[in-house]
Amino acid sequence: MRVPYENRFGDLEPLLPRVEKPSRYIDHEWGTLSSPEAAYRACLIYPDVYEVGLPNQGIAILYATLNAQEGISCERGYVPWVDMADLMREAGVPLLSLEGAAPVASFDVVGIHIPHEMAATNVLETLDLAGIPLHSRDRDDGDPLIIAGGPSVYNPEPLAPFIDAFLIGEGEEHIVEVCRAHERLRDGGATRAEILRELARIPGTYVPSLYTESYEGPCTEHGYAVPADGEDVPATIYKRVVADFAATDPVPQSVVPFAQLVHDRLSIEVLRGCARGCRFCQAGMTYRPVRERTPDQIVSAVVRGLEKTGYDEVSLTSLSTTDHSCCREMLNRLNTRLADTGTRVSIPSQRLDSFGVDMAASVAGEKKGGLTFAPEAGSQRLRDVINKNVTEEDLERATRAGFEAGWRRVKLYFMMGLPGETDDDIVAIAQLADRTYEIAREVVPPAQRGGVSVSVSCSVFIPKASTPFQWCAQLDDAEVKRRQQLLIHSVRNRAVRVHYHDADTSLIEAVLSRGGRDVAAIVEGAWRRGARFDAWTEQFSLERWEQAAEEASMDLRAVAHAPYAVDARLPWEHVSTGASRGFFEREYRRALNAQTTPDCTRTSCTGCGICPTLGVDNVLVGDRS
Amino acid sequence: MSDTQAGGLYKLRCAYVKQGRLAYLGHLEVLHTIERIVRRAQLPFAVTQGFSPHMRVAFTSALPVGTSSDEELFDLVLTSYVPPAEALARLKAAAPCDLAPTNVCYVDMRTPALTAAITRAVYRVVMTMRDGLTCEDTVVADALDRVVAMGSIPYLRGKKSKVLDLSATLVEVSIVECTAGRIVLDLDTRIGNDGSLRPEIFVVAFDRVLAGALGCDEVREGPIVSTGIQDLSSIKRYAVCRTAQYVEDADGSLLSPLRAGETPSAPISVSSVPSL
Repeated sequence: MRVPYENRFGDLEPLLPRVEKPSRYIDHEWGTLSSPEAAYRACLIYPDVYEVGLPNQGIAILYATLNAQEGISCERGYVPWVDMADLMREAGVPLLSLEGAAPVASFDVVGIHIPHEMAATNVLETLDLAGIPLHSRDRDDGDPLIIAGGPSVYNPEPLAPFIDAFLIGEGEEHIVEVCRAHERLRDGGATRAEILRELARIPGTYVPSLYTESYEGPCTEHGYAVPADGEDVPATIYKRVVADFAATDPVPQSVVPFAQLVHDRLSIEVLRGCARGCRFCQAGMTYRPVRERTPDQIVSAVVRGLEKTGYDEVSLTSLSTTDHSCCREMLNRLNTRLADTGTRVSIPSQRLDSFGVDMAASVAGEKKGGLTFAPEAGSQRLRDVINKNVTEEDLERATRAGFEAGWRRVKLYFMMGLPGETDDDIVAIAQLADRTYEIAREVVPPAQRGGVSVSVSCSVFIPKASTPFQWCAQLDDAEVKRRQQLLIHSVRNRAVRVHYHDADTSLIEAVLSRGGRDVAAIVEGAWRRGARFDAWTEQFSLERWEQAAEEASMDLRAVAHAPYAVDARLPWEHVSTGASRGFFEREYRRALNAQTTPDCTRTSCTGCGICPTLGVDNVLVGDRS
Repeated sequence: MSDTQAGGLYKLRCAYVKQGRLAYLGHLEVLHTIERIVRRAQLPFAVTQGFSPHMRVAFTSALPVGTSSDEELFDLVLTSYVPPAEALARLKAAAPCDLAPTNVCYVDMRTPALTAAITRAVYRVVMTMRDGLTCEDTVVADALDRVVAMGSIPYLRGKKSKVLDLSATLVEVSIVECTAGRIVLDLDTRIGNDGSLRPEIFVVAFDRVLAGALGCDEVREGPIVSTGIQDLSSIKRYAVCRTAQYVEDADGSLLSPLRAGETPSAPISVSSVPSL
């Protein structure tokens, strides 16, 4: 029996005065699109608190798309913060959607966004609070269909037992097909098993319960997924791509929150995909091909979006906005259009050359916060290994231009534990930071030098599925700690501040990135021990994960720190971005020889295989510089 | 929207409600939402010149999270004149109904800021007693007298010790309703730089006196803490609403801030609220 769809705000309201930030739970925001009457109901959930989840562009796109469908109403849900979750359990109030304050379990479909690996325990927290069985196999016809998608489903196996169907790749067309098929099957009285089999026929849909683990042939200790006996399902699930990106609505965002968020602004996706080919970068592989919107479309979208939402800031989002072939033109036009309105334009990341700084300066106005650059590796050799096509001179020109343009704070991002990294490469990070500070001293007038700040932020490299480094191991904790100390002691200038990433969190991220379906037991065990909001440092506890691994007779460090053989079939290879194994192997070999590979939007095709496999192309609206 | 130097500026004063679920918004959340309403309404708002340009808008004093209001106000500087009825219609169309603008008027650009001009605020407190508890209005009146007689109420705000000076901030407290299990009070208060009455502190003090008088099993003790919702002995739930805010005239009569900028040929005096 399906839980009835009804407004339960009256059950939640008495709890509001007792929690921090009640505005997380009250709904009634401007711009919601759901309708109270609908033949088919979807609830999209971001597995973190409201103010983290609300700005998510993927959910905004799918929310607008589904609500534009005749007869479908889509609402949103977020995970209540620990104070509210505990009160709700105590008071017997299930997880509610935001718009209708209806039990999440009463919807036809519940879509959970998977933004990153550390959200795994919050997926279980979501299901449990909603009163939905954690395991797909335990759900019956009364339970909603649980689907998941997002940037972090390219190794879906650690979440496989909990999800009915993964939607791989871009969802704006795919989710409509899935919901329509589900609605039709539901109305036709199909059983849950029949529904899942039908959904598996929709391209890009991975239904884990129809696959089984195999350990045949060369493979890792985690095995790999193959179609279960007698199941007529594809051996490889290719991601979905929106071929005509320009035809999609550039202003999907409609909901304007009351609460103040980290990214409290209008976002316009100016281009999708990045072909720079950094070998560690999962997004750079999974969002290909590159598709740009025209400057006309972008400028009109910004104007329309600001009028519709009332925001005073717009962010031009993408993986690399300054790579847009008409970047300068679009920024100039926006500056003219938005003059004297107190509206800020921001671009999320700076390209590491003087052009990037030039573009940042053109939107920064008088108020200059910090400039953030990501050289990722300290030495030229290691930057060639990871295919970060940036030279020492580019870096120097960029930082010099930044200080000359008036910036005083520069943050440099690096990774530690990259394949083939030596102590020399760590020392090179320190030298680069020291050099940056020297440039500041040369450029900045003496009276202003007090405001100069150079900081280094160093995370631990996590090998990700569907990247050329997918076979690599994560550096072990002891070595990470030693190299962190080496870095700190190598920085000569005391004004340079060094921050590094917590090795414990990185360990779990690597386990969830590299493991197979066997790792799901650890996720469940950690959640049963209280793990939730693992992406929040103060909520994370390695102990829970260690105990859970012990119970599952697994060793977290063995999962994270053992390299995979190149000929071994990997736990996630049944899910494909369209890039070929041959491309990843070739890129891995080139990496080991410190050979770089160019960007296919600036030179010719580099043969990743995505365009021919998926029948798509790069779409540029001008020549890239 | 340029040429703000050369004059031609207009100050639009707008009254709005804060009610329903949106009573749970914090002060900053309300400010941001109002700014977005103004932008969506596409009124010709003025922007400050300088390092960090922002909308020229000013508000009334902060309402605590959970407190509703029948009339909050903001002053918005415009660079061109929009007829009041049109401005109101555009603001209403751009606002969620629980934060809906109710009235607008133009005031002189030199009109003092709302927070400086408004010196009086009336709060209505609706309390529901714990299950099984009832009391006569004479008991409530007696408890109120005893609270007022205290003259001041010490409380903690974070780790800071503070004192709510009742003799300076409370003009009058009146019982609006006292029926089975339900008590409704009106607190007529002074509000300003020298201190304001925080209704929830008054409610806690009242609850402790009342709980003692009714012989409740458990009377809360220890310092009163100003944070979130109060855990009370005799009262199960309470809601606070700011029902009115006034500007005081030289002779002590109370004026609505919506008309305060006009030459008051016939000021709206609210003489039913006694002034000291």
